[in-house]
Amino acid sequence: MADSTSEDVAVVGNTDFAAADLHNNTNNTVTGYSSFSKTMMEEGVPLLKKMEISVSEAEKRTGKNAVNMQEVYTVYLIETRPVDAITEGQSTAPDSLWRRYSEFELLRNYLLVTFPYIVVPPLPEKRAEFVWHKLSADNMDPDFVERRRIGLENFLLRVASHSVLSKDKIFYLFLTQDDGWKDVVYDTGFQAKADSRLKALNATFRVKNPDKRYTELKHYSDELQSVISQLLRVRAKVADRLYGVYKVHGNYGRVFSEWSAIEREMGDGLQSAGHHMDAYAASVDDILEEEEHYADQLKEYLYYSESLRAVCRKHELIQYELEMAAQDLISKKQQREELATGTVRTFSLKGMTSKLFGQETPEQREAKLKVLEEQIVEGEELVKTSNAECDEYVRNAWIDIDRFKEQKNQDLKEALISYAVMQISMCKKGIQVWTNAKECFSKM
Amino acid sequence: MSVSTPKLLPSSGKKSIHDVCHPLSCEEAALTTPSPELQNTSSIGDKDLSLPNGTPVDTSSPASSSSLLNRLQLDDDLDGETRDLFVTVDDPKKHVSTMETYITYRVTTKTTRTEFDLPEYSVRRRYQDFDWLRNKLEDTQPTHIIPPLPEKFVVKGVVDRFSEEFVETRRKALDKFLKRIADHPVLSFNDNFNVFLSAKDLNSYKKQGMALLSKMGESVKYVTGGYKLRSRPLEFAAMGDYLDMFTQKLGTIDRIAQRIIKEQAEYLVELREYGPVYSSWASAEEELRQPLEGVSSCVANCSTALEMLTEDMSEEFLPVFREYVLYIESMKNVLKKRDQVQAEYEAKLEAVAFRKEERPCAPTDVEKCQDRVECFNADLKADWDRWQNNKRQDFRLLLTGMADKNIQYYEKCLAAWESIIPLLQDKPDGKGEMPS
Repeated sequence: MADSTSEDVAVVGNTDFAAADLHNNTNNTVTGYSSFSKTMMEEGVPLLKKMEISVSEAEKRTGKNAVNMQEVYTVYLIETRPVDAITEGQSTAPDSLWRRYSEFELLRNYLLVTFPYIVVPPLPEKRAEFVWHKLSADNMDPDFVERRRIGLENFLLRVASHSVLSKDKIFYLFLTQDDGWKDVVYDTGFQAKADSRLKALNATFRVKNPDKRYTELKHYSDELQSVISQLLRVRAKVADRLYGVYKVHGNYGRVFSEWSAIEREMGDGLQSAGHHMDAYAASVDDILEEEEHYADQLKEYLYYSESLRAVCRKHELIQYELEMAAQDLISKKQQREELATGTVRTFSLKGMTSKLFGQETPEQREAKLKVLEEQIVEGEELVKTSNAECDEYVRNAWIDIDRFKEQKNQDLKEALISYAVMQISMCKKGIQVWTNAKECFSKM
Repeated sequence: MSVSTPKLLPSSGKKSIHDVCHPLSCEEAALTTPSPELQNTSSIGDKDLSLPNGTPVDTSSPASSSSLLNRLQLDDDLDGETRDLFVTVDDPKKHVSTMETYITYRVTTKTTRTEFDLPEYSVRRRYQDFDWLRNKLEDTQPTHIIPPLPEKFVVKGVVDRFSEEFVETRRKALDKFLKRIADHPVLSFNDNFNVFLSAKDLNSYKKQGMALLSKMGESVKYVTGGYKLRSRPLEFAAMGDYLDMFTQKLGTIDRIAQRIIKEQAEYLVELREYGPVYSSWASAEEELRQPLEGVSSCVANCSTALEMLTEDMSEEFLPVFREYVLYIESMKNVLKKRDQVQAEYEAKLEAVAFRKEERPCAPTDVEKCQDRVECFNADLKADWDRWQNNKRQDFRLLLTGMADKNIQYYEKCLAAWESIIPLLQDKPDGKGEMPS
């Protein structure tokens, strides 16, 4: 399957880059890509080690949606290129295709269902949240689209560098197969496997012996979500105010230059100090634009907290199913005992009927016992597999949770460093501007 | 403190009245020997010499208008050697009586001038007294620009007149007012100023004020009978235009400065909320705890630095604008008076010209008027130049100060952020590499 689809891709790639690949032999390229796709799916190595992935462009499109309404949407250009080709110095044009945000969403939903024990990387926000007032909340805003492009690329890179997710065929096809990808995804039947929210909620409230580690983790992800969203909210306000402080200084620029017109000795100094005030006011735009990147980094982890919770939820569900199976087995065993000894330990409907309608014949009892016996064997089997499933889930999930924790600590530390570096450069800029202004003032 | 021998001045016949004791100045009677306390005030005076808030005073004479013009050239020389009169306002005290509650300020004087009987004085004065002095100066020196007093009620609405900030702001303004007079070559020799600085009981002077005024005969009556000035001489017209423009710009700058302070205050509120979020995050983390706490304390440090910046700006920046707005009012008044004097002269001239046709004679009255106009013009021009220089120095100082405060603020923030880089780089003990 991988072969046939990659051939499609190759053809598409060639038509797209006809100009660049004019002298390339089409057949060669096809076979080249076929072998390439095989090596891509090799065990043990994340895809990113072999493939360069980028979301390089965004484009506005208009089209008809499902209910035949005209709609405007944005598509993103995904470019892929084998790493081998780059290291070997071949200047092959990258393979490329366009995807909509909704397709990214579909991919992620598929991954969530297929890999419940993985902390699946989040997508960038659907709508701009926690923005300071100067920033547009419009989905078509070029800045928003650009930030989303970076976010989508980051998502792909995260999936592609993940030891499990990167080996998923659907993901690979997402990157490489233009047509019919959606059908392939739906054909996997992943939607049927999705757990309903109600079921999950039920499990949350009824699970009797929750794993302490997962309870803690769930608690942590709640905390992480609330603290990051608070941080983002306050940061947006801080950005608003910082913007205000800088921009109001810009008014000095104008008034100094007007004032300089009526002064003789002071004029020049005032005039040039005014220019520095203008520069000061203008510098805040860059500062806040850079800070927005920091906000995006935080946002990723805000959404990661939801992924983390999903893993915990799934664990609860499995645990709950295990407990239900065990419960069922216990009650079956109890019934068997009752039937065998003829005593009724607890008040039950069965006990009542037997009292009311007299004892069953030994034959009937024998038949019932047999059925129960069978059910108990089944139940024991089920509990055993459920137990194994649960254990396996806990083991697998914990591996990924550990991986996630490490990644999170590393990423956030780096984010904090880059934030501090941003602040340092802002301070340095501030000192520079005011030193220049001071020089002008002292010449007055 | 100047130690040069007091120069002889044509005495204006100042009589010292020390027999009546002002109830407030009793404990701080004039001292013949410098007490440690006054030593202290003198050192404040010395420090103030570096402030270019006044033109050095030539003590050779109480300044005739012509010589003033020449002396104004050396205004950049801030050397205190030529100064011989140092006045400081400090130590505000609240007085509560059954009748009223008010604040008095200690006015300390050190001088080598012979017009003063003693080299040092220390008296207590309240706002009313300053107001009296200013009115007196305006009456007796109509041709000069009198520095402004702070407004009687500073801000519309409810202002706590006895709050520490209000009193301190006012104290500074009063101090500036007296320093400006003390540094003025003419005003500083005014008798009323002498009385204000030295009299134990100012009230007795205030009562006999009217009689004294008429004796001096310096007051100028401006009865022009609605005569309209033919034309303001160009240079005075330019002054008027300048003042109009300057008021406008000053108003704008004042509004900007206030707005910045407001924005900074709001920024501070948010920052104060921002820092603690990092520490509450830190409590949920293990490996990230230290870095997050580092950022939190860093934001706290920046908040403190910002608070200081805002405080400094509102305390040091805004009052100067207010003073200058009032100064301009004062100058516009003097310009108006000048116009009136000129109008009077022109009216007389016209009347004489009319009479001339019948009976030509030497009109001494007209000449007197002409003299007065010329004196006025000369005084005003001298004061104008002096004011321009003061203004230039004041604003240079003010604006470089503003730049300095901002630089200091950024330096503090810079230091805070740089200090947490090693912590963030996982090397809390060693010195991490500084990012370029």
